[in-house]
Amino acid sequence: MPKTLKAVKPEKCNGCELCVLESQRQLEKVGLEESLIRVFTGKEAGEEYPVFCIDIDPRINSIGIEKIRDVCPKLVLEIE
Amino acid sequence: MMETKIKKALIIDLASQTSEVKSFSDLNSYVGGIGVGLKLYENYKECDPIVFSVGPLNGFFPFASKTSVIVSDDGVIEDLYVGGNLSLRIKFSGIDAIVLCNKSEENVVIDITNTSVSFKPEDTDFNSLGLPGKRSLIDMSGKEFIVQGYFSTPENFLEKCLLEKKIYGMCITGTENYKPINFSSYEKLYSEILNKKSELRVEAGIYPSCSNCPMGCGKSKVGEIGGNVLIHSLVACHFADKIYSDIGVVFSCLNVLGYDYTHEDLESLPKLIEDTIRRVS
Repeated sequence: MPKTLKAVKPEKCNGCELCVLESQRQLEKVGLEESLIRVFTGKEAGEEYPVFCIDIDPRINSIGIEKIRDVCPKLVLEIE
Repeated sequence: MMETKIKKALIIDLASQTSEVKSFSDLNSYVGGIGVGLKLYENYKECDPIVFSVGPLNGFFPFASKTSVIVSDDGVIEDLYVGGNLSLRIKFSGIDAIVLCNKSEENVVIDITNTSVSFKPEDTDFNSLGLPGKRSLIDMSGKEFIVQGYFSTPENFLEKCLLEKKIYGMCITGTENYKPINFSSYEKLYSEILNKKSELRVEAGIYPSCSNCPMGCGKSKVGEIGGNVLIHSLVACHFADKIYSDIGVVFSCLNVLGYDYTHEDLESLPKLIEDTIRRVS
């Protein structure tokens, strides 16, 4: 089974989108369109802080997942 | 293809519920952010505008994560800076600024996708707006200006002006991708700047972070007001001033993106801004 990038601690995500931008740079793009990672922002009524949900396209394995893991400041991502 | 010689603004007339994109070749010397925002404010002063603007580095470099907002508080011009994901969405909409002109007759929610604008009723379900992951939601239903349910601005100038215009929310979705011409130089410079995070004047925290900034600091929630005009023309975070006050770093960033600003251009920026403030005040 090939290793892949997973969001193992999504609750720690701070929404910085560095992973999104790193994955795009690896494809020589700056922007959000057709990104292999997306960060969705949600907010429950009455909660002070938003929560972030990370969606990773399985095709992420075609690019450098180590660099994407390493750019996350909150250690949300792991290669498993 | 990146446009580096002109500034594009999305002009929204709330009274007629119409919009148009305008290109300004004479705004280049204003660089971006507060500079471009003030000049657009002057151009549309008769329409009592609110101007949201970004700078040349937003979306491209770390810590250039703020959006400039120019409003008039009973005739006094205020420059505010808001964090969150808004600046990247405006930049990736392919525009440098959004100018909100005049006043809506009814309470309205503005849904922007790139340069396409639709006007929705105030009871619109916010989750139905834009494209998740590529949008920035500004909810005014609680009478406060809140981006992503968290990031706000100092004082209450902006809320007051938006509510006077009967704006109850905004959604900005950006789907444009860019490719700097010399991509490998761009990537190298991006990494170098990201590695300068120890030079920020804030500590890393456990709070929501602005896009393209890893810090999650406790200062970003309330935004900024006033300050260094070069920083706020780029539009970088005030707490990254040590990085973006270094003119060598600024020129490296601008050059790798294809901008051909000179030292004289940047040296004349404070006076250009000062003169504009004097004219509009």
